[in-house]
Amino acid sequence: MAKLELAEETKAGMEEVGTADLLIAVAVQVDDDQLRAAATQAVLSLGAAGQPGEPSLSALRTVVAFPGLSGGDTAPKAEVQDEQAATSNALRFLPYALAAGSPERIPWLAPSSTYQAVFAMARELGVSACAVIGFDLGALQSDFLAPMLAPVFDKRCELAMPFYAMGKFDGLLNSSILAPLTRALYGRRVRFPLAPDFCISGKMLPELEVALQRSTGQGQTLFWPATEAALRGCETCQVHVDTRHVPAADGVDLSTVLAQTVGPLFAEMATNAPLWQRIRGSQAVETSGVAVAPPADGAAADIRPMLETFQLGFRNLQEVWSLVLPPVTLLELKRLARLGADSFHMPDELWVRIIYDFALAYRLRTLSRIHLLGALTPLYLGWVASYAVEVGGASLTEAEQRVEKLARAYEEGKPYLLSRWRWPDRFNP
Amino acid sequence: MWTQVSQSLHESMARVISRLATLLPGFLAFIAAVLFFAVIAWLLSRLVRALLGAIRIDERLARGTNAIAEWSPSYTPTTLITRIVFWFVVLMGLLVGLEAVGASSDNLLSTRLLGYIPNVLGAVVLLTLGNVIARFLSRSVLIGAVNMNLHYARLLSLGTKWLVLVLTAAMVLDHLAIGGAVVDLAFGILFGGIVLALALAVGLGSRDLVSRSLEREAARPAPETLPEEQFRHF
Repeated sequence: MAKLELAEETKAGMEEVGTADLLIAVAVQVDDDQLRAAATQAVLSLGAAGQPGEPSLSALRTVVAFPGLSGGDTAPKAEVQDEQAATSNALRFLPYALAAGSPERIPWLAPSSTYQAVFAMARELGVSACAVIGFDLGALQSDFLAPMLAPVFDKRCELAMPFYAMGKFDGLLNSSILAPLTRALYGRRVRFPLAPDFCISGKMLPELEVALQRSTGQGQTLFWPATEAALRGCETCQVHVDTRHVPAADGVDLSTVLAQTVGPLFAEMATNAPLWQRIRGSQAVETSGVAVAPPADGAAADIRPMLETFQLGFRNLQEVWSLVLPPVTLLELKRLARLGADSFHMPDELWVRIIYDFALAYRLRTLSRIHLLGALTPLYLGWVASYAVEVGGASLTEAEQRVEKLARAYEEGKPYLLSRWRWPDRFNP
Repeated sequence: MWTQVSQSLHESMARVISRLATLLPGFLAFIAAVLFFAVIAWLLSRLVRALLGAIRIDERLARGTNAIAEWSPSYTPTTLITRIVFWFVVLMGLLVGLEAVGASSDNLLSTRLLGYIPNVLGAVVLLTLGNVIARFLSRSVLIGAVNMNLHYARLLSLGTKWLVLVLTAAMVLDHLAIGGAVVDLAFGILFGGIVLALALAVGLGSRDLVSRSLEREAARPAPETLPEEQFRHF
């Protein structure tokens, strides 16, 4: 497993900086001027946060690492922004080379090699905490840093994950698969396990670097901070933030998003199988901050296109689904395909068994993984349609309770997963 | 006259028996060679399987994308490599055996048959690859078309599969030098006909649908939010 080598310009910049207390690492390509303005403002606002008598977060020596190097660039050295940052210590900007991703990769999902570079810089600088900013500059342009850094610097936790304010129909992939599945597997109730923004303590960095090296060597493409913290027994907490990310949908279809988020999750399951099989139930993580009201949802959603895709999938993908799903599940899907829009309801137990069967098929390579994740798309849309029917007229609290109910169903269905995982050839009607 | 007929028959029988007797050692050598090389193939395949298992080739190739597993998911790389080794050694045995048959015969027919064997082997490889590609592509088209909400997904998938299979069959027949220009012409007509039929079906058949759809689109007020944008999956 080759260790990641930072660019010479980055190393030169780090030598000039020396050491720092806080590294704010931007993991995606952003506009340079916007970044400098947002980062400076965010660091200034750190000074206003905190309780009287406590050391000011703005007194921290802060470095902002950003993707600013490419093949032919002669990158600037780390720049000092004394006149812009009215802080007792200068704010420094340090460019680093963003790993080249494949053309099919979703632009807002940073690959694990990017996190390798970030954690290597953080370790070299000897920081006490590292704040990773992904997706866009939304985290720096909102009240994110202070509430997220506080529990890390107070040593209440080693990983602080954001709790975004989301509407009923936002983050559906996370609510239906990513969050409940990681909760059932790794025993931690983290609402957003694949959050692009998070804060991590300096203590965790060396272990994470080694873990990332190993997983990148094994071909893993995504970094799951909540999973890594759970596997190492590190304290995780959640913080309510008012950051809102709106992903650009241009040119990225749902099948691609599923393949590039759920696929790596299934691959992680295969890698960490000896560990998650021993975990039973889940523990709540400390949640701090004030819950922020999400933007109001629009008019009642039209589920007919999703229902049509589900029914079309049922009519045409039987031979593919029959390679993955047992006959009982197929029978239930047959019954579902006959239901109308008003009475369409996919039971949680059915959805959970479908996800677990697909995870097993991913591991066993029952069919091509590209085809497997493509065949999951109509089923996912069926779940979304069912969810929309249930929570269409419900409040946000009721919708959140509905998501919690699904998460408990994942935990209750874990024995099914264990039995199928250990004995895949056993008769399963 | 009957004496001469009888004499001719006796002479032709004697020649055939004599030729069979000449070829018999060759056939026995053929059987012996095939059996011998089959045993060697079995031993070699066991050795290769053990070696590949020791270096964990399946796990190494499973890291990242594994093209072998994507195109043929039911066979592990170890199984595929082992079978290739096995059949390669058996093939060597067949060639050795055929050479033995050919050496015991100076018949022109035998020589030409021996020379045709590589064509047959190439055709078998083409047929196998064609089937694998046809199955993969048809399933890709089916899943992609369903996710795009195309109601004729199955038709597209079947069309893709049969286009690839027809192309494969034409290549196999060409490789076997069967049919010659007739096969080329038939393939051209069939392939071109299928593509033309599909183009006409889509172009002419959807003409009314497109015009009705455009009329509806023009008459409908633009929605503030498209239905699909109300759901944010990520």
